Amino acid sequence: MGNRVKIKFTLAEIMIYNAALEVHNGDKVVIGQGLPIVACTLAKNFHAPEAVLMTEAGLVDIDPYRSPLHIADPTCLKGFSYSCDLVDIFTTILNRGLVDVCFLGVGQTDKFGNLNSTTVGDYLNPKMRMMGAGGAPDFGVYAKRVILTMRGGKFVDKLDYFTTPGWLEGGDSKKRAGLPDTGPEVLISTKAVFRFPAPERELTLASLHPGFKLEDVAKDIPWKLKVAKELKTTPVPTKAAIDFIRDFDPTLTAGRKLGLTLALQATLKKQAEIQKRKDQKTGK
Amino acid sequence: MKEKTGVSKVMTAREAVEKFVPHGASVSIANFLTSTPFALIHEIIRQRKKDLTIWSQSGIEEIDLLIASGCTKKVVTAYNYRAGGEWASTEFERAVKEKRVEVEDLSNFAVLAMLWAGALGYNFIPVLKGIKETDIFRVRTLLGSDKFKVLKCPFTGEETVVVKGVQPDVAVFHCQRADKFGNAQYWGSIGNSKWAALACKHIIVSCEEIVDHDVVRFSPHNTLIPGFRVDAVVEEHWGAHPSELLGYYNFDLNFRAGFYITNANPQALQAFIKEYIYDLADRHEYVQHIIGKTGSERLSRLRARRRPSSTADYGTANLTVWDDKDYSYELGLTRQEFYKVLEEQAEVIEWETE
Repeated sequence: MGNRVKIKFTLAEIMIYNAALEVHNGDKVVIGQGLPIVACTLAKNFHAPEAVLMTEAGLVDIDPYRSPLHIADPTCLKGFSYSCDLVDIFTTILNRGLVDVCFLGVGQTDKFGNLNSTTVGDYLNPKMRMMGAGGAPDFGVYAKRVILTMRGGKFVDKLDYFTTPGWLEGGDSKKRAGLPDTGPEVLISTKAVFRFPAPERELTLASLHPGFKLEDVAKDIPWKLKVAKELKTTPVPTKAAIDFIRDFDPTLTAGRKLGLTLALQATLKKQAEIQKRKDQKTGK
Repeated sequence: MKEKTGVSKVMTAREAVEKFVPHGASVSIANFLTSTPFALIHEIIRQRKKDLTIWSQSGIEEIDLLIASGCTKKVVTAYNYRAGGEWASTEFERAVKEKRVEVEDLSNFAVLAMLWAGALGYNFIPVLKGIKETDIFRVRTLLGSDKFKVLKCPFTGEETVVVKGVQPDVAVFHCQRADKFGNAQYWGSIGNSKWAALACKHIIVSCEEIVDHDVVRFSPHNTLIPGFRVDAVVEEHWGAHPSELLGYYNFDLNFRAGFYITNANPQALQAFIKEYIYDLADRHEYVQHIIGKTGSERLSRLRARRRPSSTADYGTANLTVWDDKDYSYELGLTRQEFYKVLEEQAEVIEWETE
């Protein structure tokens, strides 16, 4: 017991680590842009080496060597096993029930994991345009397990725009709509991990990230939050996982804004150097 | 081997856009997030095209640029990248708020299916019916009642959601290489490219290299768009910068970081368009401008190292029917003997001509 080691990690890192734990060995996984790419690659490099990672762009069985900016980038890979296209992914793989896991980001979520990733505010007079649906509406409905990750998003009673079905009105409502009886399994936020247990399929707090209390989480949620009987502390990333993440995607670890600012500053510095050299040449 | 003959479709980006992108055209961007045809898109902007309807499966910078430059007021899309939360406002967001652009929001598969059906020559095609539960199905703008329809499957009676096939006026597409006839070879992240190009009435292809037809002839598995569908072939080095192209270059994060921060500020965005598009004559000047500003290392470090794929063998036994002695192994006859057999045993028609 005596040798307690202090470990420091960012919020992005605990989220990525826990998202990675949702990928099981052998799963066929549709990855998403940003955090999910990092989480899935982490899983593949540690506990799920036989996971088949794919993106809707038609890149199947990938193992990226660095984090791409988006899911269609083949230059962050050292080859892959199967080159197909969007039609193949949505039909021959997704529509045939072959996607085990998909990852979706959350702009807004309601208590049953239905998602908005399109607009905040009135659709025609929005406060904010998010990235849009992408493949989420189809993957969210037809993948066997849906993993939600939420960095800047909000919990709302009613979505401003309904982009992606989760468990609809909960219970067996998705099945009653004639759709597969599968959906969001887990939501990983910057403060906690939530699950959607059967039969109600309502968002239920499962664990708190270290340093967060129940009230920190509850105050973000406009309804009375369900809490698991046994509320746990979220597993913290291992040293090896943290090293992997920082190696693979430092700008995500830092937060996108900081990461991009650093990249921009590097450019400006380079430009200034070149300008200085030019000025020296012309004797200014 | 006989040499392939035909008309060369090679031209400059300026000529291709002048010829095939009229004001008011519907334009399909036939690269999905990656290998974005920026040389062609910049040329469309440079020529100040108006009232375009843009079909964009998913975009990163191009929709913002096309809106900010006044080229388009109508966008059909599933996704437009933004780099973060409120701080990372985009031109697309501002234009929606200020009602400078009309948007039809679809899912990736729905946009794709419309183009897919168009390419196949079908009037409609089924999509995954989960979409019916969403506002993507319910809320309709540009496409109105044509956005989705619900049918009864004639075989099972099951409820089926369908979308309409579309055939936009012109596709712009960037790829690794093409021959002068327009056979466009693309590999890596195929995305929607085949369907988003083949759906259209005209196709403009830009490529990093125009290669001899023989290169295509012995790697036809890499040809995504057949030459007979292509109207213009444009050679543009760094034609997709700042996005990436497998086998040629990686994406330019430093450039893009600058763009996202620029995109949050309308004046800065206009200055960007002036500096990188209006004030430059073509892609060559664009590349020289970047090198002049940030040094040659910036681009050279992005260059791909070679990793050629194991080649598919297109060799054959070259078994002609008649060998060099005019004998057929398969028929067991010489050509002369065969002609005799024809005379004697086949139904021969005799006809007198002048």
